[in-house]
Amino acid sequence: MQFKLKQTHAFATATIVIAAFAVVSFQTAGAQGNDAKANAGAKAKTAGAAAANANTSDVAKTLKVAAETLGLARWSGVGGQHLPEVDVVSTMEFWASGTTYGSGQSSKDGDPSLAFKTEYHAALGYNPPAVRLEMTRTPVQGGGAPQHTLQVVREKYAWNESEIGAGLIPGKGTATPEMAAVRSRLLQLWILPYGVIKAAVAADDKTKVTTENGATVLTFPLSGLLADVMVRATLDSENEVAKVETRTDNPALRDLITETEYSGYADHGEILTDVKSPGHILQKQSGHPVMDLQVKMWDANNPYLVFPVPDNVKKSPAS
Amino acid sequence: MIRCLRYDRIVIAAIVLCLVPAAAFAQAAGGPRMDHETTVPPTPVGPTPRTADGHPDLTGLWNGLADNLLGVPNQMHNVGIEVGPDSTRDIHSGLQIAAWPLQNRTRQNNEQNERAATLLRRMGSNRPIYKPQYWQRVKDLDANSNEEDPSNSCMPAGVPRMGPPELIVQEPGYLVFIYPGQGGLIATSNSYRMIPTDGRKHTDLEQLDGTWNGEAIGHWEGDTMVIDSIGFNSTSWFDQLGGYFHSENMHVVERLHRDGNTLSWTATVEDPDVLLEPWTTTPRVSLLNPDPQAMLPEAWPCSERDLAHTVTKEHH
Repeated sequence: MQFKLKQTHAFATATIVIAAFAVVSFQTAGAQGNDAKANAGAKAKTAGAAAANANTSDVAKTLKVAAETLGLARWSGVGGQHLPEVDVVSTMEFWASGTTYGSGQSSKDGDPSLAFKTEYHAALGYNPPAVRLEMTRTPVQGGGAPQHTLQVVREKYAWNESEIGAGLIPGKGTATPEMAAVRSRLLQLWILPYGVIKAAVAADDKTKVTTENGATVLTFPLSGLLADVMVRATLDSENEVAKVETRTDNPALRDLITETEYSGYADHGEILTDVKSPGHILQKQSGHPVMDLQVKMWDANNPYLVFPVPDNVKKSPAS
Repeated sequence: MIRCLRYDRIVIAAIVLCLVPAAAFAQAAGGPRMDHETTVPPTPVGPTPRTADGHPDLTGLWNGLADNLLGVPNQMHNVGIEVGPDSTRDIHSGLQIAAWPLQNRTRQNNEQNERAATLLRRMGSNRPIYKPQYWQRVKDLDANSNEEDPSNSCMPAGVPRMGPPELIVQEPGYLVFIYPGQGGLIATSNSYRMIPTDGRKHTDLEQLDGTWNGEAIGHWEGDTMVIDSIGFNSTSWFDQLGGYFHSENMHVVERLHRDGNTLSWTATVEDPDVLLEPWTTTPRVSLLNPDPQAMLPEAWPCSERDLAHTVTKEHH
């Protein structure tokens, strides 16, 4: 039968009553189904054995709670009540403003001559791993002209765009390979709260959980091109990723040593998703800020974001 | 017609009422109940019948899995997310996706269920690659789909958005496809296609008035029925969601392959006006309805009365 909504308030009230009754019936049935199917559902496993075969382990519990806290581990009762919770974060983007510092420079001694007022727009993809970072940076001192940059990475390719999607259509902008930046750009993806959970699950039994000064700490290695990088993520009392530190013993990757603090978690999307995102991001290198951003909006609705690699970038030699 | 749009939060719970009767219809159609513990397609069973000319016989009621679009598990499958007994993965990228068993999870209200469903339906990597100048438009259409999705205004889903047919009648020289009105994700009316397989050629595109289903012509490539369609309007979207618009130059090639009691369907979309490259849907697998008494239900007419109540951009 078709259910039609009338515009009258009285009918809307009646609708709510009827719908509420239906909701109770529906969810009760679903809940009973859950009980009956619990054993079968328990067969569902994670990509990483950390959460797959060790439901009782501290690592699995910690990752599950952190993933649920973020809104990353999700299930839906719209026909999916017998499916496991899955990691739903595929693409997202956020807009922020604040201060960044010159490439490779940090605010040593608080030198404002290195600081830029920055408008920051990051498009993120985890399947495949990719980032498109658009920044407009204006020197805090000196009155220089704003600098607009578009930096992209996808898997093993990195390039700069003269305009969004440059290099994909002949005559439409320029894509300049920047293969030396692949690791540093990918790192930004994996040290975000979502990247931390995904990478910790993927690290399987290499992921460790400890308690330090009352806080839960996850430690795990990244993989692939970032295999030399260790991540140490500290959860706050609400199981939100509060601090992410990266370390490496590889001298060639020293610029990948970072410390990032996240706070002010909320659903910052225009379209609400129940995915929490940080409202403040503070990143440091060698103890000095390199990026201090206030998030304006964070669209976690798996928006249409694509990162096709231009042909000339594919042909560029790897760094 | 069963419609489920995003509503004012006050009436969001009423969506459940849309789903309950839809599920009832699926049962009434004779389809076996799907216990969605997996999104893995069914394994073929039995022989593949053939017609007198030796081709596979596609005739049948292909709704054994119930509504092809109704319910998150089907929608996840349609975007390539395979939740199996041992792992969850994206079949296109091969990415293993973290999953956690369902024990001890907190009961959700309908708003939470719908928000999760919105994410689950969009987590696949198999997305059409538009020309860069259209990236923002696609994103905007999806974000504003409550108003922009033609299906939300009772327009036909069209080809290939309406997916595989639920009823096929195969006769010498033509096929008949029936698509009963779908509720849930895409609200459509009954639709049908008569597809010649007599070797005729397409009408010149310039002479065709663009339509929702286009001009379809079928032919066999081995045991696969290939249906080539041109002559579309530019109003429809070409996938279950996502704001995937197209031009009048869209060219769609569907492939149907019967294996026992299963029917596999894919569609490849070519549109050089807006796409950088052709795009192919995730294969969808329909199951033959085993009930010889099964019937297609009559769809209720679609009458849009809900958009005026929408106060947020939350959507399917």
